[in-house]
Amino acid sequence: MHRILIIDDEDDIREVAALSLETVAGWEVMVASSGAQGLARALAYQPDAILLDVMMPGMDGPTTFRELRKNPATAHIPVLLLTAKVQASDRLRFADLGVEAVLVKPFDPLTLSVQVAGILGWE
Amino acid sequence: MSAEHMDRSAEPLIADAMNRLWEKFLPQLTERVSTLEAAAAALAEGTLTATGREHASADAHKLAGVLGTFGLNEGSVLAREAEGAYLVDPQTDAAVISRLAEVARKLRAILASRK
Repeated sequence: MHRILIIDDEDDIREVAALSLETVAGWEVMVASSGAQGLARALAYQPDAILLDVMMPGMDGPTTFRELRKNPATAHIPVLLLTAKVQASDRLRFADLGVEAVLVKPFDPLTLSVQVAGILGWE
Repeated sequence: MSAEHMDRSAEPLIADAMNRLWEKFLPQLTERVSTLEAAAAALAEGTLTATGREHASADAHKLAGVLGTFGLNEGSVLAREAEGAYLVDPQTDAAVISRLAEVARKLRAILASRK
């Protein structure tokens, strides 16, 4: 069973994404509501992948991603950014960070796990 | 796991659970639309502050990210339009002011339309 950490300050998005990944794919999901909490949970939980929101108060998604990469204990974890920004320039800028993929919100709760699994090469 | 091989048995479970989440988050979503309505009204009166504009843009951004997830794709498109308009200063453009009031009204109607 795959283990996923969702980091998003918006509780509605967190709950919908968690519901989707747990119910459709049967994955184990942990959530965090801030970048700082996400860093701590990534370290403790060692998920197989992280879904990371871009726009968060305090530590935003790109900063959280860079902190994850700085720490050898979390540097290997694949990160997929979640963003409601749809402009190509934004998506290219985020992709340039070195994340696995940039997923656009809103997502379809029925197919989110398919999307994630496809990107990460999971069966 | 491909879309073709997705477990379709999860669909009714997801639909039920999404309806429960809709009920749970509707007050929050309604509050965000209220922010846009208030911003549009303040804009029309010439009293929208920079802080009010930032709040409106932020709440529109959140609506854009979530409404389509609940099947309200038009709501996400409208909210994204509002987010973009409030990111710049729309104070002097009468057409934009009118459009932002219309977008807020439509978003209110879209929330009410989901059962």
